[in-house]
Order: sequence, then structure tokens, then C-alpha cells
Amino acid sequence: MSRCWGPVAMLAMLGAVAHADDDDNTAVQLHGFVSQGGLLTSANNYLAHTEHGSLEFTEAGINFTKPIDERLSVGMQLFARDLGPEGTYSAKFDWLQIDYRWKDWLGFRAGRVKVPFGLYNDFADIDAAQPVVLLPQSIYPETNRNFLLAQTGVEAYGYHSFDDLGALDYRVYTGSLYLTIPDAQGIHFSDIAVPWLVGGRVFYETPLEGLRGGLSVLAGEIDADYSYPSMPALGQLAVTLVQTNFLGSLEYAKDGILLQAEYLWSHSKTTTIAPVWTKAEGMYGLAGYRWRPWLQQTLYYSLTYPDLRQTSGRDHHQHDAAMSFRFDVGPHWLLKLEGHFLRGTAVLDPTLNDNTPRDQLQNQWWLLTAKTTVYF
Amino acid sequence: MRWLVVLALVLAPAVAAEPIALHVIVNAKNPAKSVDKREVAEAFLKKRTRWDDDSAILPVDLNQKSSVRERFSRDLLGRDVASVRRYWAQIVFSGRGVAPPELGSEADVVKYVAAHAGAIGYVASGTDLTGVKVVEVE
Repeated sequence: MSRCWGPVAMLAMLGAVAHADDDDNTAVQLHGFVSQGGLLTSANNYLAHTEHGSLEFTEAGINFTKPIDERLSVGMQLFARDLGPEGTYSAKFDWLQIDYRWKDWLGFRAGRVKVPFGLYNDFADIDAAQPVVLLPQSIYPETNRNFLLAQTGVEAYGYHSFDDLGALDYRVYTGSLYLTIPDAQGIHFSDIAVPWLVGGRVFYETPLEGLRGGLSVLAGEIDADYSYPSMPALGQLAVTLVQTNFLGSLEYAKDGILLQAEYLWSHSKTTTIAPVWTKAEGMYGLAGYRWRPWLQQTLYYSLTYPDLRQTSGRDHHQHDAAMSFRFDVGPHWLLKLEGHFLRGTAVLDPTLNDNTPRDQLQNQWWLLTAKTTVYF
Repeated sequence: MRWLVVLALVLAPAVAAEPIALHVIVNAKNPAKSVDKREVAEAFLKKRTRWDDDSAILPVDLNQKSSVRERFSRDLLGRDVASVRRYWAQIVFSGRGVAPPELGSEADVVKYVAAHAGAIGYVASGTDLTGVKVVEVE
């Protein structure tokens, strides 16, 4: 997924012809967004160099969808972002797919397809679709966005209504990821491959309007070689990571009220010379209310345990209490202001903090963030 | 204290407007005489895309500032227009579909529904319904 400005030009041309088609139902639909944010922490650099404030928090996307007929459509979205060391504005295909909706209860997508995982994963990079700036990092870490939001493969999906008994919304998929792992702590990774990835998500929409619950599963394997450039005598070593994630979701959304809770349980087996098993946990509860059509307030509490073998000590957990305000300034423009109080250092990157070990970083810290988005 | 008064005025619920009587309309050739409320919601959120005869359902919306749309969204979709817009942002930007067309006036909605066999729309009562028919919402 390297730079691809050719497709940008193609999208621009499609935009130019989008209004030339008189039939609303098969016309090309063009949408896009640009976001700019800022981050400031009271201590510790988080996601970028934030101790003195950072504006390295920019996102842009543009997509088109062309319905070919009642059942078949094609589309793509280009996405670029800058967030500290992540992104650097390289345009990537966020999704690129053929969609065939045979029946309401069975359709297929093929190509680069967004990964459904919980309430937010498949649109986690779309600010306009969320009530907050930073989604709960226990489930949707910003650092995963470069590779866990979409997979290349196939997906079957459907929706089946049981009338007064509610409805099921389901998706299953298999494919692969194309990812890079940056050098970290003196280790260089190469020959990275994802030989398999499989998962699914099902939501049950209850007869109580606005209430739904669901389960997501995501499992996959990553193979890679690694080496220590400072110790060339060790040569190339191999590592295999097999991970399975289960995520339970509950949501009530009605009349301006938004209540959500999710619980993640993750199990991974890392094999170098001998296998090492790790279990991780993440969870959050969120409550929001839309006071006015243009003003929504949201509170959440998020908790992460990256390794359940050890949960005490500042570097083994992350507590995050957040309050956010979303102002819909106009039909295509929004502004968000958000404050976080964090306890723990588990989500911090030592390389952003002068290689200070996590157990020596500030235990309690604040994060203030603001973001504005224009979309159409 | 002044800022508290200002805050209260900003956050206070809007004064209840006169209720708007709505009609859900379909093409005159559509055999349906009534539709379930849940089916209407599923059709406008494009979770249900087929009529019983397997022809395509073509929902059509009014523009976002329309008071008729606000009433329709609250009463039949169970959410306000802002929530519906966020729903469509989720769908559109994750590649899962496209939103229904948004038309500028109820006359345009009637014209669209009259021209498309599978269309379904909504208008305030009193709108000229030439070429379409009203279906009862159960």
C-alpha cells in the first residue's frame, strides 16, 4: 500500500462526472472528509510529541461508490493521515471492493474490505461517524489503525428480520493483511506475512427499539523474521504470532441517548524459540446524550490490561476517564473538544519518550484534544 | 449566575412544535396497502432492500433541515436526524452502501415516488399526492 496519487486523480474525474448521471439510483456517489486535530498532555508523549502540544493529527479521505445495478456495486476509498510517527500522509486504499447483495440475508464483498469488529472498528478512522475524538483505546487502539481496519479477501454478510422478535445482522470473512512492523527497541522485522485471517461479527437487534447486542471474533497468524542490527552475529530469527480476539458488545441508542459497553478478551501465542502465551483484556462503558441537534456530550471509562499475568504496576494497566463534546457546527462541519484523565502507562510508546521505560513514566496524566472535521 | 441561565436556555428542550401529520407514500402501482413500522425503518436504513415481490425498495428522503423529516425520523426510525446522518456516515465511509437521495421539497418526493415503481417516501398530509398512494403504517 504505497503512495497512490493516480487513483486520487481518477476519483477527481469520477467526481466530475458524478452529477452527469440523471438516474439517482445508479449515479456515482462521491464522499470525502478532512480532519485536523491537536493533542496536549500534562506529562508523557502519547501518539505524538504531545507534552508541548502537537498538531500532527490530520486525516483525509475520499471515496466513490458506483451502483452497477440493484444488486451489484463497486467502490473504493483512499485514506491518508498523520499522527506522530504513524501515517505521514501516505495515501492508502482504505477499502476497495466489489459488493454483490443477492438477497437481504446474503451478500458478498471481495477486495480490500473493512473488518467488522465490535461497534466501531470498520469506521474507526471516520471522525464524523463517532461521538468522540479518541475511541476507547482498550478496544480500538490508534496504533492498530494502520493494519487492523481492513483485510484483503472475501466477506459474506446479511440481515434477517424476525419481525416482532428482532433481527440479526451478521458478517463473516477471511483473507489476509498487508502490514509492516516498524523497528522497535533495537529489533528489525522483515518478511512479514499473514498466512490466514478469519473472523465474524453478529449483532442481535432486540425488539426493544435501539437495543442491540453482539459478539465479534477475529483470529489470525503473523509470521516474520527479525534481527538485531547491533548484534549481526545472531543472524535472522523467526517469530510466529497466533492471536484470537473475542469482543462482546452492547448498545442502546434512542432519542439522543447513547449507552455502550464492550468487553475484549484476547489470547495470543508467540513462538520464537519456545512458545509464550499471553492473555489480554480490555473494556469500556460509555454514556452520551444529545442535548441539542448540534451538541452531544459523551463520557466513558476505559480499562486495559495488556498481559493478565501481571496487572499491578503502572506499566501493566491503563485507566482512561474521558469527557467529550461534539458540536455539529453545520451539516458538513463538526468540532470536538475532549479531556482525558489517565492512570497507568501501558499504552505509551517508550520510543516517543526518550526510551524511558514504561514503569518510569508519569503514572497519572491528562490529555486534552480537539478536532475539527469537514465532510460531505 | 448569568452563565447558568444562558446554559439552561441553550440546553432546554425546544418548545414542542405543532405535530405534523405524515403520510408514507409508495408508487401507485405498488400492491402494498400497509407496511409495518419496523419494515419502514429497515427500508429507510437500507437493511431491507426488497419488496415482497423481490423488486428493489427505493427509499427517498427529504433534506436534513425539513421539519417533516425530523418528525419522520423520530416517529418511524426511532432516532433524530443527527443520529440518522451519523448512521449514514458509518455506512458510506466503511463501504457498506449509499444513503437514499435527499430531495428539496415534498413535491419532489411525490414526483420521485411516482416515477420509480419501487420507491417509498413520506410527506406531510395536505401534499398533492397525484401519481402515488398512501400506505397505512401499522
